[in-house]
Amino acid sequence: MNDKVKDVVVSILFLITIVGVLVINLILKDKDISYSERRKLAQFPDINIENVFNGNLTDEIEEYAMDQFPLRDEFRSIKTFVKLDILRQKDNNGLFIADNSIYKIEYPLDEKSVLNVADKINNIYNKYLNNEFNVFYSIIPDKNYFLDDNSIYLKLDYKALDNIMRESINSNIKYINIFNELSSEDYYKTDTHWKQQNLTKVVNKIANKMEFLDRMNEEFEEKKYTNEFYGTYYGQLGKKIEPDQIYYLTNSYIEQATTYNYETNKEASIYNIEKANLSMDKYDLFLSGATPIIEIRNSNAKTDKELIIFRDSFGSSLAPLFTEAYSKIILIDIRYISTDLISKYINFNINQDILFLYSTLVINDSGSLK
Amino acid sequence: MIFSSLTFLFYFLPIVLIIYYIVPNKMKNLILFISSLFFYFIGEPKYGILMIISILSTYIHGLLMDKYKKHKKKFLVSSIIISLSFLIFFKYTDFIIENINTIFNGKFDLLNLALPIGISFYTFKMISYIVDVYAGKVEVQRSFLKLATYVSMFPQLMAGPIVRYSTIEKELDERKYTFSIFLFGVRRFIIGLAKKILVADVLGDLVNNFSTVSEKTVLFYWIYAIAITLQIYFDFSGYSDMAIGLGKMFGFNFPENFNYPYISKSVTEFWRRWHITLGTWFRDYVYIPLGGNRVSKIKWLRNILIVWLLTGLWHGAAWNFILWGLLYGLLLVIEKIGLLKILDKIPSFISRIYVMFVVIIGFVIFSVSGVSQIKECIGGLFGIGVEKIVNKESIYYLLNYASIFIIGILASTPIMKNIILKLKQKYPRAINILEPMTLSLLLIVCVSYLVDGSFNPFLYFRF
Repeated sequence: MNDKVKDVVVSILFLITIVGVLVINLILKDKDISYSERRKLAQFPDINIENVFNGNLTDEIEEYAMDQFPLRDEFRSIKTFVKLDILRQKDNNGLFIADNSIYKIEYPLDEKSVLNVADKINNIYNKYLNNEFNVFYSIIPDKNYFLDDNSIYLKLDYKALDNIMRESINSNIKYINIFNELSSEDYYKTDTHWKQQNLTKVVNKIANKMEFLDRMNEEFEEKKYTNEFYGTYYGQLGKKIEPDQIYYLTNSYIEQATTYNYETNKEASIYNIEKANLSMDKYDLFLSGATPIIEIRNSNAKTDKELIIFRDSFGSSLAPLFTEAYSKIILIDIRYISTDLISKYINFNINQDILFLYSTLVINDSGSLK
Repeated sequence: MIFSSLTFLFYFLPIVLIIYYIVPNKMKNLILFISSLFFYFIGEPKYGILMIISILSTYIHGLLMDKYKKHKKKFLVSSIIISLSFLIFFKYTDFIIENINTIFNGKFDLLNLALPIGISFYTFKMISYIVDVYAGKVEVQRSFLKLATYVSMFPQLMAGPIVRYSTIEKELDERKYTFSIFLFGVRRFIIGLAKKILVADVLGDLVNNFSTVSEKTVLFYWIYAIAITLQIYFDFSGYSDMAIGLGKMFGFNFPENFNYPYISKSVTEFWRRWHITLGTWFRDYVYIPLGGNRVSKIKWLRNILIVWLLTGLWHGAAWNFILWGLLYGLLLVIEKIGLLKILDKIPSFISRIYVMFVVIIGFVIFSVSGVSQIKECIGGLFGIGVEKIVNKESIYYLLNYASIFIIGILASTPIMKNIILKLKQKYPRAINILEPMTLSLLLIVCVSYLVDGSFNPFLYFRF
């Protein structure tokens, strides 16, 4: 190719490319949802005087252009490939792969955030509970905790986090340490969460400490929900790795129990297969996903004891495993309901055991707790 | 709107290029002007009018100078005062108030005005026009459209290079379009885009971690200092490349703004290679009118001091910018009175280390927020006030960004360019195929970063 031919060909190719993308953008129908990233995609913004004059319109249009760009997922994969495999950068958007599992950098320790969680727990205790209640708290390590200490990846100072919590939380609230009952194998490779089928050691430890182990007699049976679970991290990283499988543990108590959602006033089964089938996040199988207050009702219980769990999403898969031991388990997620409003829905009494159960992810980024 | 955005690349640019090349030549300036207004307005709706008023004032003063030649000095002064007062009002009022409050214990409220984007650049362009008309270097422009097209032209509206009116006076009337020029523009644009997206913005993420790092070590301060030095260069020279490239696509020849500044062997040489159009602007419109170096030693020192004080201030209304400017002023004086001769004699790697040391320290001063941070950052580089030399976190950052540092350092030198030129001489056909492939790959990777990226405005928009 001589210089003249090259000049003409490449110039025209460049023009065809940018005009072509413009035309494709105009022709292609906008999508509502990205299944791989599990989020709603930006739509073309309404143009009004306000967003024109506060300068937000440009940002909104750019977000729209990013979200609706043709072959968006493929382009995102190219970026991940260039960053991780060609430039050998260690992470992309804070995510990295180690031992064939996707991790998100959770660093550094935010002491204020940890103190905030301790404060919230103490406030709830002071407001609704007293020393006649059996109150416990436990910390769920995120999977970074199990990264090799010699790996180059940055790890939270889990010891310091643990110390702050122990020093700051009211001494009437007893600590249940479950760090040793878990390992990296107990977490999904493509997601933040733990695998329910691996939680029996955790269940035993908590049941033992909270003294309800003697009410847990029936074995669990393992069932498979799906062969293809692509978790949150999978979509964020934009790199193809093998999907996870979701299994769940059940027994006659769990199968016959129902859940009642305080927000929607709807009943459902503990493992909500219909909801999970429709949802972008298959982890919604467990207790139908995120919600302010949900109750597990076990009419077959041989006790009238109740359990209240203040929890994040990790609790959704753990709580069902306690079903046999309680007549009622109420799960409260104070990311979605203010602690001041809880008494409108819940009557606290000493027939209830109380468990605060938070993952290190929420503890280190607790701004959303109300 | 910024160049390194999908909106610009795949909405604005194709539409403007199509219309621009379809309409007859006499309409092209109008299309450029309208699209430039749109380009400016969508990012800076409030201050679009301010820019038009500024241009109108300069335009009218030009006409008046031409008509009333006897009073042309008065019109020159009046035009400059009006242009500068807009700049001073929006850019420096709060800085002046802050200092008055500090010195006199005053309690004046700050105005908290947003800085109109590109005001530092377009004000200087208009001053170059009016001064050149006054000096008789250029004809007065009788067409408002042409003058407005010159000042507001979107490829060089928001940041450098500072294109002088005299440079493109003829091109406002008549431009040449060939595929060869167009492709040159495309190439420069894509290279600039890659500099911005693949190096500057990536290092920007690292720089932004500065405040969140839990424990700063000596290594981290150096990583930060080198990252900011590379980021500023790739951000601004990337913008200039894109501006020059876009200029070519529309038939304009803009001057070069950077010439591998980081290979300089003296600070004097550095400023001949860094932000060239700003340096020459200050030389021609401030330093030489003040007498330059053809005056007494005292006055010469005064002239240098004024130029570098203004250069610092031009970059921002804060003391760290003034310090940064004065640091260079001081070093240039020292070089001129003797150091240059020594630098000439010593091995060039030593003089290059000296320049980069000054530049890195300079950009640390430049980039901090507030004078108090200068002490912390510069001290940090030398272990003052820092407990550890390295820790795991610093090593992580170093390894995570190692490839970007290597690419950045290599691309700051003409090594790659020279290799390509040599290969082109030897294997012209192969390069003619490899070059478009490389450009396509770069464009695809840049787009992939944009699609997955966050919004990163250019650093120089602040100025």
